Amino acid sequence: MNDKNEQKQSSMRQYLKGSILFPILVLVLYGILFLTNPDKAWPALKNSVSILQSLLIPLCLVFVLIFVINLFLNPAKVAKYLGKTSGLKGAVLSATAGVISVGPIYAWYPLLKDLKEKGAADSSIAIFLNNRAIKPFLLPIMIAYFGLLFVIVLTVLMIVASFAIGYVLSIFMDINRPKCTD
Amino acid sequence: MKIAISSTGSTLSANVAAQFGTAEYMMIIDLDTGDLEAVPNPGKGQQRGAGIQAVMLAVNNGANTVLTGYCNPAIGRQFESGGIEIVTGISGTVAETVQSFKNRRVKGTDANPDQPAGEASKTENKKYFNAARTALRQLVNILPIMISIVLLIGLFNTFISKQMLASIFSGNPLIDNFLGACFGSFFTGNPINSYIIGGELLKHGVGLVAVTAFVIAWVTVGLIQLPAEMTALGRRFAVLRNFLSFLMAIIVAFLTVSVLSLAGSVS
Repeated sequence: MNDKNEQKQSSMRQYLKGSILFPILVLVLYGILFLTNPDKAWPALKNSVSILQSLLIPLCLVFVLIFVINLFLNPAKVAKYLGKTSGLKGAVLSATAGVISVGPIYAWYPLLKDLKEKGAADSSIAIFLNNRAIKPFLLPIMIAYFGLLFVIVLTVLMIVASFAIGYVLSIFMDINRPKCTD
Repeated sequence: MKIAISSTGSTLSANVAAQFGTAEYMMIIDLDTGDLEAVPNPGKGQQRGAGIQAVMLAVNNGANTVLTGYCNPAIGRQFESGGIEIVTGISGTVAETVQSFKNRRVKGTDANPDQPAGEASKTENKKYFNAARTALRQLVNILPIMISIVLLIGLFNTFISKQMLASIFSGNPLIDNFLGACFGSFFTGNPINSYIIGGELLKHGVGLVAVTAFVIAWVTVGLIQLPAEMTALGRRFAVLRNFLSFLMAIIVAFLTVSVLSLAGSVS
């Protein structure tokens, strides 16, 4: 148990380190560029600023959406959905939980492990993980870049695909289960 | 009615834990039937994410009220919005706590006995305030990586020409799709970053199939977090899920672009 906890913590630490390290590396890169090649550094920075400007309004919408979602949903409720897993209803609930889940994936692994040990189906967990790709509050950004039609088509297909993955995965897991010793 | 008490041991004589998230056990007590269950706390000894796991534990066990020594305000808000009452500042043994909680209920006194009439609207306001604060925090958490990626894209746009990109993404949908899925599988993070990168690649003339495969694989396939997924959910599950998701990224990318071209929105 302790071993697992340590592993969990070290992967979390790695993640945190990554999230600080990356911005620092980028800043260092810019620092070097400004010293060695300022002619290229300025356009690069200007380009970045203009991208950020174009993201400003979508980001404001993102804030509003997160706010509304926070009012009605929270991780405790997500857990309630995920705990119940049976048939189609279970699949739909896992998908819903995946869509509304927030935060880095590392925060979810311990909970998923716990749910799996408590008997949550493999397919439900796979469906949950795959539906994390769909984030209602990020739709303004997605629409700004790709257009509404693309977003609708992609979202629908991805939900269908997540069910297919859950189904195929559970078949494979069941086929091999008797041979498995772990 | 069920109450949950965070405790240092699994018996009634154990002390109430000082910290909610990292307590050894959670005692679930059904006051109506007298049933008692000691559930080991999965977040014990953990630094991050412990509180939220304990919240789930209490919710899953159907607790109406949670009693503990201390829990951080963010976790407290999770309880409040989940309709669970949280009482902090508890010390002594579990048995004493149960007894005093029962007495409190019998006397009909609440945690806030003199609740003024305006209190209801105040809690309502607090709810909005909390939701706004959490939203702001979630947004701010996204920003450092997002801004860094935009800065990198700025560099990318300045140094990498369309010709250079075209030499990687040749325009062959099959190969581009596969490459897009590979890039998406290798890199990972908040979906917002994949939209920005994908959108910028699109402007540079990279095909929509490749960009779509990239966006899908970004979240659904994670080579970097594969070890963590294997640890949590088993090696076979993790490998199989990532492999299937990779295939699915390619298939869905094709389907998406096909549907769009049928609808006439892609030339």
